[in-house]
Amino acid sequence: MNSIRRFLVVVLLATITLVNFLAALHGYRTSMAKAELLFDEQLADIASVLAVTASGPAVKSNPNERSNSITFQVWRKGVLESASSGSPTEPIAPLVSGYTDVNFSGYRWRAFSRYVPATERWLIVAERMDLRFALAESVILESVLPIILGVPLVGILVWIIVGRGLSPLRDLASEMSNKRSDDLSPIADLEPPRELAVLIDSINDLLRRLATAFEREKRFAADAAHELRTPISVLKVQLHNLLRDAEGDSSQLQSLQTAVERMSHSVEQVLMLYRMTPEQFAERVVQLDLAGVARQVIAELYPRLESQHQQIELAADAVPMQGDTFALQTLLTNLIENASKYSGVGGEILVTIARNPAGVVLTVEDSGPGIPVDQHDKVFERFFRIGDERNDSGIVGSGIGLAIVRHVTELHGADISLGESGFATGLAVTVTFPDVSSIGQGTGTS
Amino acid sequence: MSILLVEDDQALATGLLEALRKEGLAINHVGTGAAALHVIDTETPDIIILDLGLPDMDGMSVLKKLRERHGELPVLLLTARDTLDDRVAGLDSGADDYLSKPFDMAELLARLRALGRRVNTASTRIIKIRGVTMDTGTQHVAVDGAVTELPRREYMLLKVLMENAGRVQTRDNLESKLYSWGEEVASNALEVHIHHLRKKIGADFIQTVRGVGYTVKET
Repeated sequence: MNSIRRFLVVVLLATITLVNFLAALHGYRTSMAKAELLFDEQLADIASVLAVTASGPAVKSNPNERSNSITFQVWRKGVLESASSGSPTEPIAPLVSGYTDVNFSGYRWRAFSRYVPATERWLIVAERMDLRFALAESVILESVLPIILGVPLVGILVWIIVGRGLSPLRDLASEMSNKRSDDLSPIADLEPPRELAVLIDSINDLLRRLATAFEREKRFAADAAHELRTPISVLKVQLHNLLRDAEGDSSQLQSLQTAVERMSHSVEQVLMLYRMTPEQFAERVVQLDLAGVARQVIAELYPRLESQHQQIELAADAVPMQGDTFALQTLLTNLIENASKYSGVGGEILVTIARNPAGVVLTVEDSGPGIPVDQHDKVFERFFRIGDERNDSGIVGSGIGLAIVRHVTELHGADISLGESGFATGLAVTVTFPDVSSIGQGTGTS
Repeated sequence: MSILLVEDDQALATGLLEALRKEGLAINHVGTGAAALHVIDTETPDIIILDLGLPDMDGMSVLKKLRERHGELPVLLLTARDTLDDRVAGLDSGADDYLSKPFDMAELLARLRALGRRVNTASTRIIKIRGVTMDTGTQHVAVDGAVTELPRREYMLLKVLMENAGRVQTRDNLESKLYSWGEEVASNALEVHIHHLRKKIGADFIQTVRGVGYTVKET
């Protein structure tokens, strides 16, 4: 992943290093030139000193002796009058006034020759160039080195400074990532720097437009469903009249009625789904008795179960918990309707509500054909994703109902699982509501 | 029994008029709240089916106005709204029952029958279900012609169940009707009353919906 911080640190450090290097190089070269001059002057000074002092007897020169860094010779009329130890017996430099670079004794030397007319002497002073170079270099490096050694320190400082500079961006990022996915409120002002203010403004603008679009979509779906309810009522009433008057074969009307039922059911489900938004949920959570809610729902559904000669039983003590009454009614309605659909005429349904250490456990069992244990996972996926496939079984229903079940369980932070019912055959759907504290969380992260 | 249907959707009104007339009910129809209030004042029906979404005024205000003048008139609300809050608001404002669109005709007919049982046709009214006859004037209950005396709570319990025959009454609902708020209720009080009732009027008359409540079947 690209990192602005890393990029800035690398680029800044590279730039600083390059500039430092060039500056050091420049300093090195000018310093070397300066040092050259200095050493040359030194040679001239030594020559001046020799001019005064070297008047003694000839010093026996021994070319085999180890040469010093500085060698001198004093010539008078072609005779070597005196010399430093290790100096060759030949003139080490041409007898011409001034500086020359010469080779002897296996080294390269810088030589200075000077003629002293008063004593008719030639003074030659030479200095080993490699030594004076090494000396000059060590002195210069000594001063350039801190600049080079400072680079890592600069690197650390740059790293920290860039980090500080980027902190508003990091704050913004953390605010964005802490935002619940359904939270479309504008970003709180972080007193952002100018550069970020523009970004925050446009994000807020985007959020506003998104919220408006969501709201419009939600209202549209709700309005559409509302608008559909009256015409569907007309269809149902007129079908009732037609079926009442029908003589002989009414199978066409029957299939029409099935289709109307299905449409009506789907419209209701869409309405329910749109009514249960997380924002509304948070406002609607109250302390309630799940058993009481279940009694109400079963009482409402009873005529339909009765028409299928189905037995229903609720096994529940008072189970106080936190939840949204409407959402839980919807959940129970869907689970019981589902159980009713699959258990068929004369089927049995058992609803159990109990509190255990994990929380409040709601189980809806039916006496339908059930689902083999090894297929639970697969079915569960299909249960939620491709609910339409279930219509092949000829049972009226839709994936929306199961989407609603999942939605409600998510809102309540509950788990849902399938199992075998306590009847001879059949499915058990178990919903486990966690204890109060986690309600209302875990909805935004899905 | 005369019914007034207050519904602005012409197609739905037509269908309902036909369906209810075939059930042998005398039914009239108006399309606005103002017309409804006028008809109610001049020719008071036994039951009103009131749609909440009316063109001229909100169904709720129609309900409030008619309650001022006809306190006891049974009203069945019909609406495309159905959230819990609407439901509570509907029943608080004095509606006797509430049905959301789209409804099953069977459900509507059952509710109308339940409301009909409450209608005062004379100073007394008679509810008769499967051999059990209840006279709400004299508070007498007769089983296959033989009059049975019932203690007050048992009578009230049976009345609620018979008035709402065909529908399940939850334990919570029955308890709230039998006992005033804050009164201590033993956890098995309801079972005890039902047990006594069954001994007097026959074991099959009241069905138990286990864990949920009780119901009296209409037929």
